[in-house]
Amino acid sequence: MTTLIQTLGVKKVYDSGQSVVHALRGVDASIHQGEFVALVGPSGSGKSTLMAILGCLDSPTSGRYALDGQWVESLSRKELARVRNEKIGFVFQYYNLLPRASVLRNVELPLLYAGVSRKERGARARELLEKVGILDKAKELPSALSGGQRQRVAIARALANKPALILADEPTGSLDSNTGAEVLGLFEALHRQGHTIVIVTHDPGVAARTQRRIELHDGLVVESRSAAA
Amino acid sequence: MRRGKGTGALGLRVSNAWIEIRENPGRSFLQALGVILGVASVLGGLSISDSQRKRSDELFVKLGGFDKLNVQPSPVSKEGTPSALKNANLGLRFEDATSGEALDPRLVTAVSTQKLIRARVRSAFADQERQISGVGRDFFPGEGYQIAQGRLFSNADLESAAAVAILGSEATQVFFPNGDALGQTIRVGDVPVVVIGLLKERVFRFRKDQRRNIFWWRNRIIALPATLVQRRFEGDQYQRLDRVTFKIPEINSLQMFSRRLSDLLRTNHRQQDDFRLDDVAARVKKQRSNGDVYNIIFVLSGVLSLLGGGLVNVNIQLASLKERVREVGIKMAIGASGREIFKEFMTEALVLAGLGALVGVAVGVAFSRIILEILGVPLYMRPSSLGLAIGLACLSGFLFALYPAAKASRLSPMEALRYD
Repeated sequence: MTTLIQTLGVKKVYDSGQSVVHALRGVDASIHQGEFVALVGPSGSGKSTLMAILGCLDSPTSGRYALDGQWVESLSRKELARVRNEKIGFVFQYYNLLPRASVLRNVELPLLYAGVSRKERGARARELLEKVGILDKAKELPSALSGGQRQRVAIARALANKPALILADEPTGSLDSNTGAEVLGLFEALHRQGHTIVIVTHDPGVAARTQRRIELHDGLVVESRSAAA
Repeated sequence: MRRGKGTGALGLRVSNAWIEIRENPGRSFLQALGVILGVASVLGGLSISDSQRKRSDELFVKLGGFDKLNVQPSPVSKEGTPSALKNANLGLRFEDATSGEALDPRLVTAVSTQKLIRARVRSAFADQERQISGVGRDFFPGEGYQIAQGRLFSNADLESAAAVAILGSEATQVFFPNGDALGQTIRVGDVPVVVIGLLKERVFRFRKDQRRNIFWWRNRIIALPATLVQRRFEGDQYQRLDRVTFKIPEINSLQMFSRRLSDLLRTNHRQQDDFRLDDVAARVKKQRSNGDVYNIIFVLSGVLSLLGGGLVNVNIQLASLKERVREVGIKMAIGASGREIFKEFMTEALVLAGLGALVGVAVGVAFSRIILEILGVPLYMRPSSLGLAIGLACLSGFLFALYPAAKASRLSPMEALRYD
């Protein structure tokens, strides 16, 4: 199996001048292509920081990180933007859709940043909306949609550029259990289609539905084990 | 797959910018206000000055055009006892007109001469002391007079010093209130002359509603052939004149001709400056450059209001950036580069500046319309003034958007996403 994510001694220190916080104290982790992984840990354990680094939203203070065979810890802002655009699809707890853009436009946006032509953009966005089952809402504004529908839009947007990695931060955190289960079902379906998915969660029920759990504690990986299956 | 042409990215940015503006009308209005006021004040000022200038150009055309060079006699010594040489001078004479024309007959298309005397004028209806013009060949067309009834002086009249007269409309009214002036005889001094022509009334008003006709005095004219005046009235063998006007349609050659004429006349007048050259074009030029000062003031005040508005604009943009940090974070998370964010913010600012400029044009035109209405001058706007106003607005919109846009583009995606 090919390694998609490889971190070597990743440290992150926040220095606000008055206090120094060691959010990550040297994380070594690897995730293979096609894996479905849960990143778990109590709040303050550094899982959000790790997710930000894995998602190329932030750079580690020290250590190395390779995504899809490319060392990314020292890339410029511009190059990181490109990596986020092409290789990573984000799904957030609060959806993070653009409130004044239609559902279709929200899904088109990553394609626009990738320089895809208008025609192709529209076609691809529709295809994705169909895949997550809300093509009929394409013209609506996100505010007209329910939480579950919004999260589907967010997932469609995350898939837009056929990313190597889908990073989901508490994707079911603000959904009721039924809708949450549906969204998780969608992630499982994506996993079966071969997508690599990392879900950050503190919900053991969610974590239990993944293949493997990486558990963080005080900025260190304390457990990385495959699920019972 | 990346950054190809024809992605419609610009169109989308513009339409997104429009949505952003539409959804935040209050903020957008404040942001555009500086541009609106700036454009309005530049354009308003310039269009008032343009209109006035056009009006004064029209005035000059009505006064007889720019293409004229007037020569008038001037006292040779302003103070003290004049020397014998000065006393011996004859002043402006008919010879000056002919030799001036001979300088460059192709350039000079007409020469009009005027000799002014005062005489008692009598008809059956009136008896008045009047100014009488003894005129030469090209006087009437050159001065912008048109014949209403009868005819102008013929060459034969001018050569033979015929006892004939042409009256302006006011003089006709005064001396022949019954309107049967043509063919009648008036006495100028002791000389009976026959009225052979009546001139059209000349009217000129600066404003439509102006009561006073500025040209009323022109209608008082009573003209006789120059030769008649010279022989029967105050004339002498030197044929001294009160005014010679050369008509030179080629305005570019006017300055040069004026210098040559001045040299010639000085030579003919024993190196004495007993004449005054009055270059209409130079006067017009001077008046125009006076206008330039006002234009500079108008542009300056506009630039200052653009500057003030621009600073307010920067403030508002920075304040609104706080509301939009999260949005920037989302865009960055899904792959927008700093450059793309920068472009989006710039597009929005420029669209807003463009809209502001349009509103500013409307406000500026309305504003100058009102003022010109009060002044009674028709509105006229040079395209270059319009261009200047819009150009300045867009420039200020561009410059003042740079800092907020750069600030937005440099946000850290992580911090932007977590921002509340």
